[in-house]
Amino acid sequence: MQKLVVIGAGMASGRVLEHLRDTAPDAFEITLFNAEPRGNYNRIMLSPVLSGEKSYEEIVTHDDGWYGAGKVNCRFGEKVISIDRDRKVVVGEKGEVSYDKLIIGTGSSPFIIPLPGHDKPGVVAYRDLEDTNAMIEAAGKPGSRAVVIGGGLLGLEAAAGLRLRGMDVTVLHIMGHLMERQLDEAAGYLLKKDLEKRGIDVLLRASTKEIRGRDRVEDVLLEDGTVLPADIVVMAVGIRPSVQLAKDAGLDCGRAIIVDAQMQTSDPAIYAVGECVEFDGNIFGLVAPLYDQAKVLARSLLGEVDAFAMRELSTKLKVTGCDLFSAGDFAEGEGREDIVFRDPARGVYKRLVIEEDRLVGAVMYGDTGDGNWYFGLIKDGTDVSAMRETLIFGPAYQGGASADPLAAVAALPDDAEICGCNGVCKGDIVSAIEAGAGDLGAIRATTKASASCGTCTGLVEQVLAVTLGDDFQMPAAQPVCGCTDLTHEDVRRLIKAQELKSQPAVWQELGWKTPNGCHVCRPAVNFYLLADWPLDYQDDPQSRFVNERNHANIQKDGTYSVMPRMWGGMTNAQELRAIADAADKYNAVVKVTGGQRIDLLGIKKEDLPAIWSDMNDAGMVSGHAYTKGLRTVKTCVGSDWCRFGTQDSTGLGIILEKRLWGSWTPHKVKLGVSGCPRNCAEATCKDVGIICVDSGYQIGVGGAAGMDVKEVERLHDARTEEETIEWTVAFVQLYREHAKYLDRAYKWIAKVGLDWVRDTLADDAERAALVERFDISQSVYQKDPWAERASPEAARHFKPLADLTLEAAE
Amino acid sequence: MELALDRPVKTFVEVTEVWVPKGDTLVLAEGYYGTLTAFEEASRQTAFAKGEGLPGKAWAEARPVVLKGFDGSYFKRIEAAREAGLTSAVAIPVFAGKELKAVLVVLCGDDENRTGAIEVWAEKDGVLMLDDGYYGAAKHFEWVSQHTQFPRGQGLPGGVWSAETPILMRDLGSGYRFVRAESAGKAGLTTGLGLPVPVPGGKSFVLTLLSALGTPIARRFEIWDARRAGRGEAVLIDGICAREGPLWTGEAEPERKVSAWQGLVGRALGTGVPVVESGVPGLSAGYDTMTALPIHRAGEVSHIVAWYC
Repeated sequence: MQKLVVIGAGMASGRVLEHLRDTAPDAFEITLFNAEPRGNYNRIMLSPVLSGEKSYEEIVTHDDGWYGAGKVNCRFGEKVISIDRDRKVVVGEKGEVSYDKLIIGTGSSPFIIPLPGHDKPGVVAYRDLEDTNAMIEAAGKPGSRAVVIGGGLLGLEAAAGLRLRGMDVTVLHIMGHLMERQLDEAAGYLLKKDLEKRGIDVLLRASTKEIRGRDRVEDVLLEDGTVLPADIVVMAVGIRPSVQLAKDAGLDCGRAIIVDAQMQTSDPAIYAVGECVEFDGNIFGLVAPLYDQAKVLARSLLGEVDAFAMRELSTKLKVTGCDLFSAGDFAEGEGREDIVFRDPARGVYKRLVIEEDRLVGAVMYGDTGDGNWYFGLIKDGTDVSAMRETLIFGPAYQGGASADPLAAVAALPDDAEICGCNGVCKGDIVSAIEAGAGDLGAIRATTKASASCGTCTGLVEQVLAVTLGDDFQMPAAQPVCGCTDLTHEDVRRLIKAQELKSQPAVWQELGWKTPNGCHVCRPAVNFYLLADWPLDYQDDPQSRFVNERNHANIQKDGTYSVMPRMWGGMTNAQELRAIADAADKYNAVVKVTGGQRIDLLGIKKEDLPAIWSDMNDAGMVSGHAYTKGLRTVKTCVGSDWCRFGTQDSTGLGIILEKRLWGSWTPHKVKLGVSGCPRNCAEATCKDVGIICVDSGYQIGVGGAAGMDVKEVERLHDARTEEETIEWTVAFVQLYREHAKYLDRAYKWIAKVGLDWVRDTLADDAERAALVERFDISQSVYQKDPWAERASPEAARHFKPLADLTLEAAE
Repeated sequence: MELALDRPVKTFVEVTEVWVPKGDTLVLAEGYYGTLTAFEEASRQTAFAKGEGLPGKAWAEARPVVLKGFDGSYFKRIEAAREAGLTSAVAIPVFAGKELKAVLVVLCGDDENRTGAIEVWAEKDGVLMLDDGYYGAAKHFEWVSQHTQFPRGQGLPGGVWSAETPILMRDLGSGYRFVRAESAGKAGLTTGLGLPVPVPGGKSFVLTLLSALGTPIARRFEIWDARRAGRGEAVLIDGICAREGPLWTGEAEPERKVSAWQGLVGRALGTGVPVVESGVPGLSAGYDTMTALPIHRAGEVSHIVAWYC
């Protein structure tokens, strides 16, 4: 009988032993080493043990009886010190064992970030029963708090378990969404929301600086200065294959122990299995491929022909009630097509990725029942072109369900719920229609259906259509884009009403049909979010037009223009010298603009950071000539110099520009301040135009002098400069909070009516609140983009990807 | 395993009934009465209008109702119950959206020796508070529970509340922050099944069945995920049995599934109405009685919990 020694009693090696017992129980005399003082248990079920939803006894795979029946010589709690390949012996702490065949199944060890304080008592990894028990013990103390570092599978399972046990739990995740390796942003958002619903705090983009405490963990300090008190810190940031023993024995190792398709290492007598192996450049962390490896290894040991092959994997999170599924490759790419289904009321998100008529990836949240069916399609490479239209609805719909939405609505019983938010049934809506409500507005007013989240609007309209027949005309409201049926106004309203503070929140809660929006809706939603939630939302440069992303206007020859801000159109000799020097240095063409600025044209993209730096050195900041934001405040010379000037128009212009610059608006905003009704600053065709008169200041709004030419309408007559500033700032903020993206002020006023604008701003409290909200926004957004990007590190983004000159020369 | 004690014991619940709407009243669909035939006979001749008696109250108020001590109460079958030795009852309405599918009623006898708990938790001011509960002899545990509240995500009630999913917990007595856990340990309560009770209007209720070793509420618990109801099947996601041990399947093992109408759980899936059966073929692991309670979400059965004695 051959001698088989197995190092490590984990799930993979355990499965090898099961196969051997099933197929050749007498082939080997087996010795099993395990550093843990126990045999094989289902390690991936430790999370339910932590949460209390399983007992340890339930997850034991092989108990003493099992090993005894198989005559396995168990050496548990004994570490292997070395492998002597020449003598073919394994050296344990309590003595040597010779082998004919050896299996290394040393698994993996948790990766511990070497932060200051990582070795303090109270910092635990999450790998084995000891770690689990340490956490359960910590949870048993009244008022105890846990910080979990790592928002991956293990970290989140630990967090949910500790929360169920009664702890206050905070999860720190360094990336922008949870489980970023398995989930896309939309599913990550739903997962975060689900965890927060359980009272778990989740901090994204959270970078840990130090774990602090005197004798043991007391708190965790983040890079941004946040301090989180903690009785226990769970480090769940990943695993590393445990390969030191194999390395010391001289076996070929890369990231792990290198094996061939028969699980044989570089030594023909030694095999390896599980998380400690590397096959074809891959390492392993999920259980399904480990079981495949185990079967192949057992057959190889018995001289049978078999080969391990990589296969597609799927992921599930073991947190009860958090239903997610991910499989395949769901990265966006050329030639790939997404099918997205969202049901905000049920918190459901499904995304399928199709490439060349094959399903290549699937991500699901909330409704994962069909996950395995999709997984099968991915694994088998099934041609899905014939079921393309109904694929997202799962296997139950293959074979043809009615696709006519009106027929489906007509078939609904009267008690079928149409509006989940307000609990309005089809019968309620039909009754309202019978009582005279003939359009969506009337239904909203009488039943509240579609008045909250708005996602049932289409359904309500279909009920109207079914009930009224030809009498009902489907409205022609323009949706933002093809990603949604909602209008800009709906989106703005719902972002506020539902307190949506991130793009994934908008995509999910408003039922976007695409994974991440498109080039049309993303800039709009980005603006709405930053305008409504300046302190919560993080501006997304990728959702901006190219000029805003590069902070310069691209010209027809691919070069850029650079225009420094000149407050109120005033400049001085020093600034002019710096501009002249920059024009020489960067070979720029110089143009005086209609907004009383100097424009440097013909700047190469890679020179932008340097010229910005030069302008900054001369005390100038970006003129934002490229933004949907405050452009210029054009002024005349005013009472200081002009015989006719009634007020200090230049001074007021400078004050207004310094107050308003840097703010993002639905479209560009131009101001003009003229010192008298002769209007040399052409203030009456600006978005906000102020005419100074002897008695004070006439504030006009809604002017234009572009494709449309329009004179301002009088908003208010102010007596003092302070009052003028207050009204102007409040008006800009009202425009920021209510207008559709890319509507100039005059278009917005035409929609809402100047009376409403005037009445709103005339309310002293409302005006003050608008000014306050504007200032809060400015505390975040009033910053010079040039200064932020003039650093060498930031400058790298502006470097060309390839040296085209050199390529051309060659 | 702590639950794996399979010896004849006196059950905690003595009677289980399913009342279903028929016109304007609730009528008895099925029930398990053990030896209490007189009470069974009285029940079969009774119907409840909306708001009438215990089942009618659960229907009218759209909430689970606990009633302890029948004398002088709105309970309709006082005389029969007294003769049968029944003193407490819990009524659980089963709603699919706004539609009442059934009312499940369990009745217990007063006994100084039987320990266990059937509790109803209700949301109040952002936490779950004990609405009421029946505890048998676990008086200290009852007192502690009355003075405990659960935030979202914490403990069995808080976990069920936030996950909107039934949860089956083992070893209630240790490793928890709550004083209640310590008291549960002292009372011998080990296994806990918690489930959401969805009602119209959006109020949150959680029902828990806490089982002790000596007087178990059940000796087998099962949780089925029925959210593939569109495909007409439910998958066993958790369970524990005194005779068969753990019932859940590992990640790489085949799932245990039933189709709609397949067996008793399949009947609950197909009808959306609770099932109470005794002494019929198809009862798992040779148990005498089985109760299956479907939970509806978004108008469809989302889960079925089943318990066996």
